[in-house]
Amino acid sequence: MIARDMFEQFEQRFGPLIKRADLPSDHRLFVFIDPSSVKHVCQHIFRDLDARYVASIGADDRPFTGKFLVAHNFAFDKDHVLCSAIAHLPPENPRIDSITDFVPAASWAEREMRDLIGLEPVGHRYPKRLVLPDGWPEGHHPLRKDVPWNELPDSFDDTREFNFDDPPEGCTVVPFGPFHPTLDEPAHFRLYVEGEMVRGCEYRGFMVHRGIEKLAESVMCYNDIPILAERICGICGCVHNVAYVQAVEEAAGLQPPPRAEYVRTIMLELERLHSHLLWVGLAGHIVGFDTLFMQSFRIREPIMGIAEKISGNRKTYALCVIGGVRWNITPAIKIELRQVLDQLENEWAAVVAAVTHDKNVQKRTCGVGVADAALVKSTGLLGPVARAAGLEIDCRRDHPYAAYDCVEFEVITERDGDVWARLLVRMKEVFESIRIIRQCLEKMEDGPLQLEIKDELPVGRIGLSSVEAPRGESHHFVITGENNRPRRWRVRAPTYQNLQGVPAMIKDQQLADMTISLGSIDPCFSCTDRLETIDVSSGSVKVWSQKELLNLTRMKGRQP
Amino acid sequence: MNVLWAILGGLANVGVILLAAPLAQGLLRKITARIQSRQGPPLLQPYFDLLKLLGKEDIESGECPSMQRFAAYLALAVVLTLACLLPMGFSAPFGSAGDVIVLVYLLTVSGICTLLAGLAAGSTYSLLGISREMMTMITLEPLFAIALIVGAVHTNSLRLDTVLNGSVYGAAGIPWSGVIMLGVMSLSFQAFVQRVPFDISEAETELMEGPLAEYSGPKLALFKYAQMAKLIIYSALFVALFAPWGASLMFPIGWLLFWIKVFALVLLVTLIAATHARYRIDQAIRFFASLVGVSVVALILASYGY
Repeated sequence: MIARDMFEQFEQRFGPLIKRADLPSDHRLFVFIDPSSVKHVCQHIFRDLDARYVASIGADDRPFTGKFLVAHNFAFDKDHVLCSAIAHLPPENPRIDSITDFVPAASWAEREMRDLIGLEPVGHRYPKRLVLPDGWPEGHHPLRKDVPWNELPDSFDDTREFNFDDPPEGCTVVPFGPFHPTLDEPAHFRLYVEGEMVRGCEYRGFMVHRGIEKLAESVMCYNDIPILAERICGICGCVHNVAYVQAVEEAAGLQPPPRAEYVRTIMLELERLHSHLLWVGLAGHIVGFDTLFMQSFRIREPIMGIAEKISGNRKTYALCVIGGVRWNITPAIKIELRQVLDQLENEWAAVVAAVTHDKNVQKRTCGVGVADAALVKSTGLLGPVARAAGLEIDCRRDHPYAAYDCVEFEVITERDGDVWARLLVRMKEVFESIRIIRQCLEKMEDGPLQLEIKDELPVGRIGLSSVEAPRGESHHFVITGENNRPRRWRVRAPTYQNLQGVPAMIKDQQLADMTISLGSIDPCFSCTDRLETIDVSSGSVKVWSQKELLNLTRMKGRQP
Repeated sequence: MNVLWAILGGLANVGVILLAAPLAQGLLRKITARIQSRQGPPLLQPYFDLLKLLGKEDIESGECPSMQRFAAYLALAVVLTLACLLPMGFSAPFGSAGDVIVLVYLLTVSGICTLLAGLAAGSTYSLLGISREMMTMITLEPLFAIALIVGAVHTNSLRLDTVLNGSVYGAAGIPWSGVIMLGVMSLSFQAFVQRVPFDISEAETELMEGPLAEYSGPKLALFKYAQMAKLIIYSALFVALFAPWGASLMFPIGWLLFWIKVFALVLLVTLIAATHARYRIDQAIRFFASLVGVSVVALILASYGY
């Protein structure tokens, strides 16, 4: 079924509730619906048509259309269609029905909308503050267009503490994070522990928000943003870089030259290689198997080296501009890359053989952190977590971008949905990535790297892009705008969805399994922490206010 | 005169342990590094680490700083007392003075130091660490005690120098009980010296060093020193109890043989630690409990003379 057929079905079923639709291609469907029908339409899409929930986006569209905008994005993976149900809300007291009753995966997205844009999700079961810092006043929404990007509200109270839920009876609270050796970034899990068993948890994250989306929408321009986008994440930066650029290209109807598509594919797969190797190493470290950690980092090193030769950087490749790429794969690099891949394939095969026969590692990972197919569907879990539970979803095949439609590869799946299955999926995906890069090197033909763009990009168009990051689908949503910059750019990184599945994964498990369960989604907290600007740190004994901390660091800085 | 020699011998043992323990640690780190394709720190690095820590500011922290200090002192004191009692290439200095019961007590006290350290810190993670340590102690300590008692049963004596001389094989015919205990102790040895896969009570990636979380500077140095010494002491105990062969040879040969065996054991510990993942506490306890069951069988066999 292509997008047009779907739209005709919607029209028959909902009639006048569907206002209009944009069908830029067979694989994209933007339906504009009446806000009152959002629940019915989404329920139909998610339940009856069995679509996969992708993301929800809120936007302040008042300067342009006089209204707020809400979009719920779904993916029809088998039909290769990405669908967006868009509703416009009145500028006064914007409210919209929550869809979390049947799409629990939308919980965070709706809470984020409430925090940042001030769209009240009516009927949300847990409308607690998610993104904004503890001291931020209620009723002040930083992503609204009338709020400057660098504003700190006067009523910001840096002494206020977060209001955590009460733990269930008989449980003690074990704070996990914000600083913990296995969390390389700050995030706080408040674990409710009974003996050694975890009974539940509350998550408080978003501690290092950098205001990236706000910054992009207010001070940067189209070709600055890719450089900013790849700083969303220290490991899968290139994914965000490519995803943003693709979303803009789609909105503007641009088609980058074939060689650029191949270069993008190669860099994305190089990134997957080093990310998966990093993860296998970290997983080893988490269960106390440091030799695995050291060996996978040794094997990973040549990949970083070749990335540096291509782009000048081991990470943050600064690869894309709108309509093309900045780096070329020269014949010399081609030869070297092939050598690196051969060496990697051999060494990795040895590691995989050693790990898959290791009873000791299996003992720590089998049956641990289970996310079954039902949980994956309801919470919208992605990437290796979903594939380990037997769901065959992979954006590279389902929603092909770059040059993925020109290469052959297998989507690796396992059945058990535990940490062991995720380990197997990631280890095998390394071989598929090697295969993809080899095919790209084979098929790539000479040609230009960038498209010549003479006109200004059209205004008010919507673009979607799903890119399969090492951790799962990274989804970018762009509305093009004036002044050479997008009106709205929303990033939904895979960890944003996967983290929502963690409480269910760790429930009724040993505390010792918490770290590997959390680690097994390959969490990337910086990916989820994009939006806000201010953070309040608190010590256990004394609560330091932000001003005091700043003074403290300044005093330190002045010491000889 | 005898007493004087005993005291001098004990002090010599303490000196040897203090000197050799960081070396064993250095060797362990170097070999681990080589297994992991790393260069590794210099062999003498642990000496410098200890010196550096000893020279740092002595910070009082945690719920009960005085108990924290006491635990650190006690930890090192206990291992050094143990050192006085063990044969280290010569016969045990206080051979006629103490008996193996003292050994059993001292081994337990060294575990209690960790409990005190964790209690003194009073944080959630350290408390979790000591609850794990306590569970481990309860199932682990009987193993060494039973091994010593098996030896005592065979030799009809509790004297240190008699028991710590391969006494477990004292049965007539095939020494079944001794062989079983050798197996049990080899399987649990990693846990006695608190290395992977049984470093559960201070698992860095789970409990952030658990009981030791609040330690820094000189007090941490003492604890680390005690841990390093423990590796040698337990190795020496193991060698004396299960592999004493050649100890009675004339001075340099017997002495050399002893230390070769001890360092071979350190090497074994390193290899196992570098190739295993950490067990979970419940998996470990189940494992220890089955070992306790097996060793009780050995004890019964020993009491019937097998």
